[in-house]
Amino acid sequence: MSEPKKIDRRNFFGKMAVGAGAAITLPYIIPSSALGKDGAVAPSNRVVMGLIGSGSMGTGDMHEFMGKPDVQMVAACDVDKQHRESAKAAMDAKYGNSDARIYSDYREFLAQEKIDAVILALPDQWHGIIAVAAANAKLDIYGQKPLARTIWEGKKIIEAVEKNNVIWQTGSWQRSEAHFHRACELVINGRIGKVSFVEVGLPDGSPTYSAHPVQPVPEGLDWDMWLGPAPSAPYRGVCHWDWRWILDYSGGQLTDWAGHHIDIAHWGLGLDRTGPIEIDARGVYPRDGIFDVPVEYSIHAKYANGIEMHYANARQVPHGMGVCWYGDKGWIHVDRGERLFASDPKILEEKIGDNEIKLYRSLNHTQNLIDCIRSREETITPCQVAHRSISAALLGEISMLTGRKIKWNPDTQEIIDDPMASRLLRRPFRTPWKLEGN
Amino acid sequence: MKKLIFSFLMLALMAGGIFLLPSCKQNQAGKAPYKALIVTGQNNHEWKASTPILKQILENSGLFAVEVAQSPEGGKDMSNFKPVFTKYNLVVLDYNGDAWPAETQKNFESYVAGGGGVVVYHAADNAFREWKEYNKIIGLGGWGDRNESDGPYVRWRDGQIVRDTIAGRGGSHGRQHPFRVTTREPEHPIMKGLPANWLHSMDELYSELRGPAENLTVLATAWSDSAKGGTHQHEPILMTVGYGKGRIFHTVIGHAMGDSTQPAMECVGFIVTLQRGAEWAATGNVTQAVPYDFPQFNTESKWSLFRPLEFEEILANLKNYQPGDTRYNLQDLTNYIRNNNDGGEKYAKLETALLRYLQGTGTAASKNFILKELSIHGTDKALPVLKKLEKDEETKEMARFASERITLQYSN
Ligand SMILES: [Zn+2]
Repeated sequence: MSEPKKIDRRNFFGKMAVGAGAAITLPYIIPSSALGKDGAVAPSNRVVMGLIGSGSMGTGDMHEFMGKPDVQMVAACDVDKQHRESAKAAMDAKYGNSDARIYSDYREFLAQEKIDAVILALPDQWHGIIAVAAANAKLDIYGQKPLARTIWEGKKIIEAVEKNNVIWQTGSWQRSEAHFHRACELVINGRIGKVSFVEVGLPDGSPTYSAHPVQPVPEGLDWDMWLGPAPSAPYRGVCHWDWRWILDYSGGQLTDWAGHHIDIAHWGLGLDRTGPIEIDARGVYPRDGIFDVPVEYSIHAKYANGIEMHYANARQVPHGMGVCWYGDKGWIHVDRGERLFASDPKILEEKIGDNEIKLYRSLNHTQNLIDCIRSREETITPCQVAHRSISAALLGEISMLTGRKIKWNPDTQEIIDDPMASRLLRRPFRTPWKLEGN
Repeated sequence: MKKLIFSFLMLALMAGGIFLLPSCKQNQAGKAPYKALIVTGQNNHEWKASTPILKQILENSGLFAVEVAQSPEGGKDMSNFKPVFTKYNLVVLDYNGDAWPAETQKNFESYVAGGGGVVVYHAADNAFREWKEYNKIIGLGGWGDRNESDGPYVRWRDGQIVRDTIAGRGGSHGRQHPFRVTTREPEHPIMKGLPANWLHSMDELYSELRGPAENLTVLATAWSDSAKGGTHQHEPILMTVGYGKGRIFHTVIGHAMGDSTQPAMECVGFIVTLQRGAEWAATGNVTQAVPYDFPQFNTESKWSLFRPLEFEEILANLKNYQPGDTRYNLQDLTNYIRNNNDGGEKYAKLETALLRYLQGTGTAASKNFILKELSIHGTDKALPVLKKLEKDEETKEMARFASERITLQYSN
């Protein structure tokens, strides 16, 4: 491995020496495997990580990183006592000690923890504030998609990441799957000719008609902190998964999946650092129950190079889930499941020559982050790209909410001639929450 | 909810201060270009419920002045039941009872053959198994001991309409449930612009209909789910039939209930396809637009008054909203604003109504919801009212949310 630029400053033992301070009173107990025997990675070479948001997604991410020999997971933060305690239990079980530290407030976590990198797996309304704070704390970041709840917050995350020179990887892991990579390389190298149209099928929304009466907040859950910058709301039993169906916290399946399939659609066309110029969308919103994200959605987006994309719930596109690029010589369809489909199967056997476009290659998504933390190179899914993937969906959301076609300047990132729609590029935060520096 | 709306309208009318007056097209019934006749009076269904609703639906299209021909009760002398069909552009059949006099039958046949329009509604296709020409007019029928001797089943199989002559009963339905209607003739004037699939509200799914099926086009089918007691077949739901020069629209949906709720008839899909089918049968064309709240693949949509609600009615429905309640009425409001925001005069009227609501007696939760809508659509005109609401503990947060969005520039 080449000499890492930052690793010294972040050395696990080095932090023990300088960073322990009064807050950490117990000595670190290093299990024998930590001593570099039996092929284990010496502690001085490990990436030390923590986790903010240890719900189902965060826990999955934690186990993924904790399974790597060169990662040490040391701390978790969650507003739900049960969640943070089960994260600690998992870390302690893994390392055979009781050292994992837990927090209920991310501000305390960031003030205390002198770690290398942090996993952020939070409801969307928190993404902007906590990602900016984590970048300002000089932590490298694994951030769950979508990058942010609003385009304004996404821009602020990019500013903070660039200013602090931290490494960012988004959980858009499809880019590290060989068949997605292959599909994008075939498309970008013209194997289906000139592409004029792309269809992106995302999950269908599922309307929930059950009533959700207001109820007592469960023991151990800091509900006000869970809401954070989102508007006050009484607890209605919607917290650990179903928050995704309420606009104050998420844009539904559309914004959840933009970081997967819209991301791939952009990648195959080299459009992943720009955006559409015109967005016309229509959503169908549930009429019963308490959820208010669209259950059916259809977004037509035009790009400056003339390409048109249609993002919709899978039932509304002929190939269903996944991405289908249409060129003047054929089409290619890709979805999860490792198989590609094409108008002519021969297209899929085409070789990509030495002088053709080679897309960033990663064979293991989380390892790519660890490698980049050491090399200080850009990851396969940097925040600048994640921002464009979610922006396409968020502009669709704005078009649905206003009922109007939106014109967008992808360079200045401004909505053209529609001040009212422009308001929706940002959501006001509940007092006292602010994004650092704003 | 219906009561609430009616009493609100009554109050408003008495006070003489109503604005945004219901502009329902029925007010222009006098100017309706076409005449329709509903034939009713006997049925194994609640015709006393269904006939007035059918009349309202047709009048609300703005296209029809509707009269009703009510037969004598079942078992009574029918010899004087002689509607003059030729006075009308459209005859709507909501009748399933005693045989008509021979003269009336002949008149009906020649009315249709001569180019008359007909709508066959639900159990009207149960009627008159023995009347050969009637069965040609309805295309498919059910019950009344119908079987293979009455004609084939007509089903959608493997991408096409199939006429199946296999032996078996004619007419059945499983348990009532919401079901998905799938368009099979998207370019037909009645279907043009409708979603390819839409969820019809709870209804009987007529199955195993059989009949001559001559000159019959299946416009839409539905999967008759065996788990609901259905046939495991794609059954015809909307059809057209040609008879001589006449045009027939046949809708098997819209079962009327005996009690106060009418999910099948309130379904916007039932109402709109009936209005479109009626216009097509009468004229050969469809000029009506598809409403924005037509049901979708997975989303039912109902009009409790068999027409879209007016803005003031929607606002009246919000008054008691509490957190945790269904968003039904909220979504009505959102959809209305979103689809009627012209950025000009029309919106200004809506905003005036919203601001008046905010200063009225609705629940804090309903006001907070309206404040969120104003954060999206509101203008500077809203700011003074928002200022006032910022002083109220229960609304201050969302009032601030709205005024912050309206006033600050966020593009950078
Ligand atoms: Zn019935």
